[in-house]
Amino acid sequence: MVLVLAIGDLHIPHRAADLPPKFKSMLVPGKIQHIICTGNLCIKEVHDYLKSLCPDLHITHGEYDEDSRYPETKTLSIGQFKLGICHGHQVIPWGDLDSLAMLQRQLDVDILVTGHTHQFKAYKHEGGVVINPGSATGAYSSFTYDVNPSFVLMDIDGLRVVVYVYELIDGEVKVDKIDFKKTATTRSSN
Amino acid sequence: MVKKKVPDWLNSSLWATTTSSSSSADDDRLQRYSSKHSIIADTATATEPLDGSPVPVSTPASIREQPPRPSKPEIKIKDKDKDSRNSVSSNINNNEEDNGNSVAGPSAEDISRQAQLLTELSKKVVNIRELRRIASQGIPDGAGIRSKVWKLLLGYLPADRSLWSSELAKKRSQYKHFKEELLINPSEITRRLEKSTVCENDEAKSESSGMLSRSQITHGEHPLSLGKTSIWNQFFQDAEIMEQIDRDVKRTHPDLHFFSGDSSFAKSNQACSEADTFFCFVELLSGFRDHFCQQLDNSVVGIRSTITKLSQLLKEHDEELWRHLEVTTKVNPQFYAFRWITLLLTQEFNFADCLHIWDTLLSDPEGPQETLLRICCAMLILIRRRLLAGDFTSNLKLLQNYPPTNISHLLYVANKLRAQPSG
Repeated sequence: MVLVLAIGDLHIPHRAADLPPKFKSMLVPGKIQHIICTGNLCIKEVHDYLKSLCPDLHITHGEYDEDSRYPETKTLSIGQFKLGICHGHQVIPWGDLDSLAMLQRQLDVDILVTGHTHQFKAYKHEGGVVINPGSATGAYSSFTYDVNPSFVLMDIDGLRVVVYVYELIDGEVKVDKIDFKKTATTRSSN
Repeated sequence: MVKKKVPDWLNSSLWATTTSSSSSADDDRLQRYSSKHSIIADTATATEPLDGSPVPVSTPASIREQPPRPSKPEIKIKDKDKDSRNSVSSNINNNEEDNGNSVAGPSAEDISRQAQLLTELSKKVVNIRELRRIASQGIPDGAGIRSKVWKLLLGYLPADRSLWSSELAKKRSQYKHFKEELLINPSEITRRLEKSTVCENDEAKSESSGMLSRSQITHGEHPLSLGKTSIWNQFFQDAEIMEQIDRDVKRTHPDLHFFSGDSSFAKSNQACSEADTFFCFVELLSGFRDHFCQQLDNSVVGIRSTITKLSQLLKEHDEELWRHLEVTTKVNPQFYAFRWITLLLTQEFNFADCLHIWDTLLSDPEGPQETLLRICCAMLILIRRRLLAGDFTSNLKLLQNYPPTNISHLLYVANKLRAQPSG
């Protein structure tokens, strides 16, 4: 049972001041084992805050991030799954699922976590699953001002992943989940 | 009894200064006094950490013929106080490793007692009454005797020797089932809950591509839930408690390595000893359970009533001392007797002495609670001169840091208290 937080596109301080308080009260240290961050934090203070939640933090570079040392893409293994991270502004057309699938095949991962659109998405194709945790602060995106704050928490347990989607809608936290299994034959481990 | 609040000044650092007694830090003792119902017994080593943490699902039906009990407090207590039993049970299973520093060398008495016990234990059907009689004089360390005797006295092993191996096997497998049933992580629980509600086959539904459908969470359960009844929240809280127990044990007893799991000897013992410990502990605590329920505090069976009994006992046998303590110097017995009674004196004496006291506690036909009260009374009587000469401050200090005593003498006095007609 491994809990992995997928979060990103906070745009602090440029487009948002902070995470919504209801999110902050839930995100406490000691529960989460890994954090995957799609990027656009944008400042060091946010990095430190995330680090305080969990020491194992993986971040990729968003176009507004002040720290230029974050990589463009990153891959890691958690349990039976291979995960890939990429902010997504590099993949054109932005948010296009086929293009993202190409990136996923390139990175050779089961789950691709990507952001930039500030819209939660969970999509499955033959190569694997693409998850976009949206913007945790509800910051406006290049497309729209109408953004609900959201993030994702994945519970990886063997070959099964339960994806908990946390969204702030009209001031209330709504939690949904998505279940999927990895069939052992789809991907061979190198 | 008037409900007295422990005054603030009692929590001052004055009580925290160490004296010449046992190794554990005294400020810990004080902390535990003020946080009555979050006792973390640090007298012992922990067993290997449990795989997950217990979920407060109601426990399966009673073990042996014990009355059904409220499940939630029981499990919490078991976690915290289980460790106190382990320290003593480490001797149940590893008698050879015991650094017995109680007796200088075996006396003729000890040897004869050992012979008597061995004879009794080798009989086909053990005479429990006879066993009690011999054990009440003290059980010699060595040859695994204490381990067997305690198990018999607590009723874990039946009197008939031929049933021993089957009983043990049965109990150990029962324990294994308990663990499997209760120690499941929330992921697993969620999965099981879902299996029962969702009937259609998920595999058939999975298309090769498309938006993944969102479904509602069951019972509002999600990993970051802060709800008191949330299984996730409880899981994290239990994990925290276990970590704290672990830390406390490491801090207070770094020298006890029985359950550290490093040696192969320890490993081979862990499996069986954990099960044995569990059941023995349950037996032992079944008589004292009511002391730990906050709701029963003021009832006839609660801790206050037991402390009152002790007070009465003292009044009966030594009125002068009783008057001096309770009336003149106003040393409320709660201040010292609470820990004596709830922890069965494990905090007042060193390990070897505790074993000796427990030999008597377990073997006395009057039952552990009566015996315990007599021993506590004897403890007070033995230091009566110092108590009579002292005021509130010095008396309390003395009673909270009971001076090392000759245990045999203490038990002798306690025994004498029995002989006198009551009331």
